[in-house]
Amino acid sequence: MEPIKPPFSRINKTVLFLVAAPVLFFFLWIAETTLSKYVILIITFIGIYIVAAVSLNITNGYAGLFSLGHAGFMAVGAYTSALLTFPVKLRQPFALPHLPLIFGGPEFQWPFFPALLMGGIFAAVIAAIVGIPVLRLRGHYLAVASLGLMILINAVTMNIRNLTRGSIGINSIPKYTNIFWSYGWAVVTIYVVWRILNSSFGRAMMAIREDETAAQVQGINLLKYKLFSFTIGAFFAGIAGGLYAHLSGAIMPWVFSFNLTFQIVIMVVVGGQGTLFGPAVGAIILIVLRYALKPLEEGLGIYGLIELIYATLLIFIMMRKPEGLLGTRRKLSS
Amino acid sequence: MEYLLQQIFNGVVFGAMYALLALGMTVIYGILRLIHFAHGALITVGGFIFYVFFTMLGLPFVAAIGIVIAFGGLLGIVLDVIAYRKVVGGPEVSMLITSLGFYIFIENLMKLIATPQPYPFKPPAFLDRIYSQWIITFRTVDIFIIITSVAIMLLFNLFIRKTKIGKAMIATAESGETARMVGINVNRIINLAFIIASAIAAITGFMWGSKYGQISYDMGFMAGVKAFVAIVIGGVGSIPGAMLGGLILGMLEMFSVAFLPPGYAGYRDGIVFFILILILIIRPSGILGEKEVK
Amino acid sequence: MLRVENIDVCYGIIPAVRELTLTVGQGQIVTLVGANGAGKTTTLKAIMGVLFPREGAIYYVDEDITRLPADKRVRKGIVLIPEGRHVFSKLSVRDNLTLGAYHRTDREGVRKDRERIYELFPVLKERESQLAGTLSGGEQQMLALGRGLMGHPDLLLLDEPSLGLAPIILEEIYEVIREINKSGITILLVEQNISMAMRIADYAYVMETGKVRTEGKSEEVMKRENIMKAYLGE
Repeated sequence: MEPIKPPFSRINKTVLFLVAAPVLFFFLWIAETTLSKYVILIITFIGIYIVAAVSLNITNGYAGLFSLGHAGFMAVGAYTSALLTFPVKLRQPFALPHLPLIFGGPEFQWPFFPALLMGGIFAAVIAAIVGIPVLRLRGHYLAVASLGLMILINAVTMNIRNLTRGSIGINSIPKYTNIFWSYGWAVVTIYVVWRILNSSFGRAMMAIREDETAAQVQGINLLKYKLFSFTIGAFFAGIAGGLYAHLSGAIMPWVFSFNLTFQIVIMVVVGGQGTLFGPAVGAIILIVLRYALKPLEEGLGIYGLIELIYATLLIFIMMRKPEGLLGTRRKLSS
Repeated sequence: MEYLLQQIFNGVVFGAMYALLALGMTVIYGILRLIHFAHGALITVGGFIFYVFFTMLGLPFVAAIGIVIAFGGLLGIVLDVIAYRKVVGGPEVSMLITSLGFYIFIENLMKLIATPQPYPFKPPAFLDRIYSQWIITFRTVDIFIIITSVAIMLLFNLFIRKTKIGKAMIATAESGETARMVGINVNRIINLAFIIASAIAAITGFMWGSKYGQISYDMGFMAGVKAFVAIVIGGVGSIPGAMLGGLILGMLEMFSVAFLPPGYAGYRDGIVFFILILILIIRPSGILGEKEVK
Repeated sequence: MLRVENIDVCYGIIPAVRELTLTVGQGQIVTLVGANGAGKTTTLKAIMGVLFPREGAIYYVDEDITRLPADKRVRKGIVLIPEGRHVFSKLSVRDNLTLGAYHRTDREGVRKDRERIYELFPVLKERESQLAGTLSGGEQQMLALGRGLMGHPDLLLLDEPSLGLAPIILEEIYEVIREINKSGITILLVEQNISMAMRIADYAYVMETGKVRTEGKSEEVMKRENIMKAYLGE
């Protein structure tokens, strides 16, 4: 169990956040005005992946669950927010429905922020519905059930053509996401995780991760905490999906595949499950690696090289340093 | 009526393949309490090995199948020793992650070697004959799949119940520690479990490729995950359950495709997982499984 | 025959046995007693090779077996009958017995031994093809004992054979243990039922929180340790 931090260092951390955030945004502003568009794009992507990875960390790292459905939640967020913000004039020609009255009516298109939130909320609701029955079960059941959920969501997005345009996907999504939105949400996500950790709620979650039986004996209601972390993780995944949709301007069902889930899992594992900044570090390393290797992969036509290296990295970390780059070795229990 | 029979037949064929995969996965799960995600990759490897030796190099059918089985077993041992030895006994989540990592590794290795394009896959001519004079249409390869699956399952059952090593496997699955106390070399038993399960998966790769008419680097993914669904339906930890689950899954899948309104065929995979989630809600221990205490 | 020298055995990071030394001479019945959690089972497991000591050494007939895995120790003649029986519940009584002789290659000998076990425990013959999981506690103990004997042990490690058994069956089991010892098999017996253990044993070790508190000929230890009775609540 982590020692209860004296108030002094907690205040320090809050100060840290208050100071670091503007500093970060200053650097981002510099980056935005000086670097090339391509580099800015990559940096923005990194921010989105940070949101996704940190949110997965809540579920996998801190609560010790093993969810493989993250890409599914991202898909939900992406499609929901895209459908809400889609320009009214383009709906007819793109064969997309106008919004029903409760969502604002046919002349309405949502502004970015609320649309993002809706995406996250919708994802969280789905997580809650599926989570209630499944989170009671053992680890590998959740793994495959969440995988199944992702595949199910995939199937739905591929087939409800009048809503999602099926495998063609939706393009011409307004490109609202910029580097500030992306990192703004990254900061928010990390902050939320930090607040949870330092609450009694967070301590309960970590107790569950360490030893479920012991936690149960102490009266901790397992389901409540697991459900909460699963749902919050899904919420931010939905946000990440929405951010992605409005960055690339186009989304297709196959984007939100197992491959995506796997990438995020690796980011969390490599960076350090259960650490605050580990997933962010993991995201940065892996995305930089990807874009560094991309010319090689395309130039030589050896597709799959990047994922292969990712997998090797994962295996290496699991064998040598399973707590990840930023992690500290936890005490072995029998 | 004919349509229904045809669908039942298809369901049996697919069910047989799922049952074989589920069998291999259950054997490993029984002994190691590990969901062997990389199992699906063995189907891919099996399919490609057959392609290389039969279609590309022109070896006779039996020889090619033999090589597939041998290679499958070999890869199984490699996975056992490299992948699982180090993480067995650790936290369950670690095993799952490592298992996943190995699957992705193999899948992308195949992608690298074989290119992302699927390869058209044809079984040998004598298995490719189509018969439609009777009520249902089938190819000889369908019969091959059913007969081979049944044979493998019967052989395996005999092995487990009648031979000394088979009983040692049952004992090890129940308690590795007690098995050691009786003089059983548990490591050897685990090796054997991997060899058998992987060899079975490899030959299922050949069947899978024949049925779908193509092989691709990612064919193992869906197969592997569906095998898991089969296990859950039939009951985790039960060998007859795995086989039953496979059969039921095959039937359910075919029926849902058959009886869904047209245009919903794309939901096929989604339906399978919807069923999975339903089962997990209603009866997580499956039909024949041990009660999951939680 | 068996020399355990100064072993430390841990479960994860928790030390369960510390600086333990004990000796068992050929043909003896030696007992290891102590309260729950004293480390008795851990000691037996270390001797069997299911656990390995962090420090110290174990010698069997003057051979260093400290790092030898369990299945090889069985071949050398050490057999552990674990606490709680642990029969293979999904296999038949017959298969359980046969598995006890897993490492042996003399099929005739195995068959004869099985018959002998049936003579010793007639109820097992009755239930020969039943699944071991369906047997009662006492029957399972007999099966576990029989299975252990099938391995042709020279040193038999018994972990709380009396656990959960009715007194009548207890007497029977202990008779059998005496018989086994008379036939030449050395016995190291772990027990909570101290009075029965002391009656049958030549030598006794008393364990407490992982260490040996006292040892000696069983009559002496019984006399010496009147406190023990109160302590262990006999």
